[in-house]
Amino acid sequence: MCGIVGLHLKNPALQPELGRLLVPMIEAMTSRGPDSAGLALYDDEGMHVVKDVGLPRDICAAHGIASRSGYQAVGHTRMATESAITPEHAHPFTPVPDLALVHNGSFSNHASVRRNLAFDGITCTTDNDSEVAARFIGREIAGGADLEDAMRMVLKEFDGFFTLLVTTATQFAVLRDSFACKPAVIAETADYVAMASEYHALAELPGIADARIVEPEPERVYAWSR
Amino acid sequence: MIDPTQAGLRESATFDRATIASIQRAAETGVYDIRGWGAKRAVPHFDDLLLLGASMSRYPLEGYRERCDTDVVLGDRHASNPLHLDIPITIAGMSFGALSAQAKEALGRGATEVGTSTTTGDGGMTPEERGQSKNLVYQYLPSRYGMNPDDLRSADAIEIVLGQGAKPGGGGMLLGQKISDRVAGMRTLPAGIDQRSACRHPDWTGPDDLTIKILELREITDWQKPIYVKVGATRTYYDVKLAVAAGADVVVVDGMQGGTAATQEVFIEHVGIPTLAAIPQAVQALAELGLHRKVQLIVSGGIRTGADVAKAMALGADAVAIGTAALIALGDNHPRYADEYAKIGSAPGFYDDYQDGRDPAGITTQDPDLAKRLDPVEGGRRVANYLRVLTLEAQTLARACGKAHLRNLEPEDLVALTIEAAAMARVPLAGTSWIPGQNF
Amino acid sequence: MVALNEVGAEKAVEELVKVDLTTTSVRELNAELHAPTARRYEVHNPRGAEAIAVGLHDAVDVEIHGPAGYYCAGMNMHADIVVHGNVGTGVAENMMSGSVRVKGDASQSAGATAHGGLLVIEGSASMRCGISMKGVDIVVGGDVGPMSAFMAQAGRLVVCGDAGDGLGDSIYEARLYVRGSVASLGADCVEKEMRDEHVAELTELLARAGMSHDASEFRRFGSARQLYHFAAHNSAAY
Repeated sequence: MCGIVGLHLKNPALQPELGRLLVPMIEAMTSRGPDSAGLALYDDEGMHVVKDVGLPRDICAAHGIASRSGYQAVGHTRMATESAITPEHAHPFTPVPDLALVHNGSFSNHASVRRNLAFDGITCTTDNDSEVAARFIGREIAGGADLEDAMRMVLKEFDGFFTLLVTTATQFAVLRDSFACKPAVIAETADYVAMASEYHALAELPGIADARIVEPEPERVYAWSR
Repeated sequence: MIDPTQAGLRESATFDRATIASIQRAAETGVYDIRGWGAKRAVPHFDDLLLLGASMSRYPLEGYRERCDTDVVLGDRHASNPLHLDIPITIAGMSFGALSAQAKEALGRGATEVGTSTTTGDGGMTPEERGQSKNLVYQYLPSRYGMNPDDLRSADAIEIVLGQGAKPGGGGMLLGQKISDRVAGMRTLPAGIDQRSACRHPDWTGPDDLTIKILELREITDWQKPIYVKVGATRTYYDVKLAVAAGADVVVVDGMQGGTAATQEVFIEHVGIPTLAAIPQAVQALAELGLHRKVQLIVSGGIRTGADVAKAMALGADAVAIGTAALIALGDNHPRYADEYAKIGSAPGFYDDYQDGRDPAGITTQDPDLAKRLDPVEGGRRVANYLRVLTLEAQTLARACGKAHLRNLEPEDLVALTIEAAAMARVPLAGTSWIPGQNF
Repeated sequence: MVALNEVGAEKAVEELVKVDLTTTSVRELNAELHAPTARRYEVHNPRGAEAIAVGLHDAVDVEIHGPAGYYCAGMNMHADIVVHGNVGTGVAENMMSGSVRVKGDASQSAGATAHGGLLVIEGSASMRCGISMKGVDIVVGGDVGPMSAFMAQAGRLVVCGDAGDGLGDSIYEARLYVRGSVASLGADCVEKEMRDEHVAELTELLARAGMSHDASEFRRFGSARQLYHFAAHNSAAY
């Protein structure tokens, strides 16, 4: 149970600002997930992952997130439900190169999917339900699937409640389950696509007053590519 | 008719007579069985625990002469007006609709007489109940039937209900026989329909959203009222941790023996865990957060005697809640109604058809003639008497263990009679130091 | 703008008090609105904050300039609240009376369980608009998302645009009016005849909401009342 944020920059001029824009977004989600936090930032050198326990503010400060540049990032604040509070249990989950997944909600059949993955030789390293979804998507992508297709496969395999934000080196995708109880809001301008659990995480972004604000519909993949 | 046992006939343990009757009933009606009460199957319970009275190594207190206090403060974590109760035995949430207005009033009178609280239920607050209850907890349920902010402000505490022990994960039911004009009016429903309440709240799911919902309720009530979160006992360790994370002042854990007015039989008997198993999980969660006895724990589900109260508190509860036992105190299942129970196919000790509104004792009904049988003043006196006995019994046991306050009972004062109870309650099997699952 | 702590309780009732949520907390704002010292309030810089203007019980006017978060105007009684922006989950949840007008869009569960008053959303509303509504009138200028009017018990929901899947699932006695398309109807929800009294009540509602559509452009939906009693033949609907 958690808060999610994500930022996909369309305007290269904003790339030096990525960290500065992201930090207030993730800090705004502190009450939804005060246990631990994590981020994945993408620049031309690849994906950089930071995960730690504690408050988002402290984690961002300790890792100098505000000064990071890049073209895309996801962030997550975690309120642990049934698994431990450790950096390894924090999101994002990054099971294959350049793939990052953050999740808000609770899968109800993750133990079965976990066993199916294990049968295929894919082992989860934590008991976190979100890791199962990340490894599932990772398997689909490693098998050649497009991210959008891989996320549609999640709808077939997983039961329960979820809002997912998943990124690769080139794509940024959002998906909610059929009940769509867990919140999500997407803001799009000519300069960026931003996603968060609640609007107030987006309130400080430049040009937000004129952004196109969308609340993702259930069972529909929203994806952007660069 | 022959006597089957005398004739040497063998009854199946798997297909016993109750099972055969339920299969026949299902085949005839095509609808699952709905009934009241809680789980009827035998599960490990407080009877499987014993208290270690003082003798040489510990010193007992004199009964009736040396003090054994019983008061409890509920909700002082964030609320400016916490509840101060004289005894740690409260009346659980039961709705007007499930119960008659007279029964609700009687519970309020009884609780008030001995200085404890009572609780509303699905369907809102009645003036009779508010008027006769000094400490009234207002339930905030998925259906929000009769949910009125003025009542919220007039309540002494707010209990956000996620579920109850009889049906964790299920919504409420109230069958048409009990949806009288008054009940229907309070719930904004057509009279006489079979009401199916929601199982999830309409505007939040999960602890992250609950954090915001609790913030809203605190803002509306200016941070004055204690906010309880009630869960049916299942994954209790996690649920208690998350209730605390979401901002609860008090956590209420209802075990599978906890009662209901109307739920599917299959739900009552097959979902949830026994009260005995839930308490150590809840206490562990609170202790790990450093909040045991700071966020108070109220336990319900099968509390009958002062021994149950003392044992629940020794396991770490700050207070208990009673529901079914309070109805029995009012006269539910009383042998004096044997003939009338027989007319509706039941018997004293077996009656659980709270859903159908024909309660001979006039408690779980909306029939005006039946409801008249319960005098709220006399009912209140009976409830007060019963609560006094529970308190005196618990004090007797606590004094024997050398405690000047009920809350000073602790798990080390307990042993278990069975391996199952020892494992669930996390106390040693009597006469040993063995706690199954903890030390080998 | 006036800082709230400068407004003493003994002071004469002000005509208009402006509150800036960058310098005043939501707690201070709500405390003031629960014991109002003015008739009108302007709230600036809400920036999506949660629980703004909740639990009001006096006839005051509140204008919120900007987007509000979860449960804005929750449990409103008597007050008239306008949001110049979008609102988060549960706007005007359990409203009893008064009015709430949202100039932008609303997130999930708008007007959930509300017993009375008028909720106007000039933009669109997301999923579960009017869930378990108990007497409120809701008028949406744009579309409503899936599962709107789920278990709706009483009141009227007017949708000037389109309605998503599962409209009016398990509906009781609420009346639904939709001008555009309905993706699908939920269990026990059916289209019903628009009689004169329905045109009249819809005309009056549209006028109160400030919508210019003609009532004759709408279709009416309500309960088939087939799920009011447990029955074996309904098992697929449970």
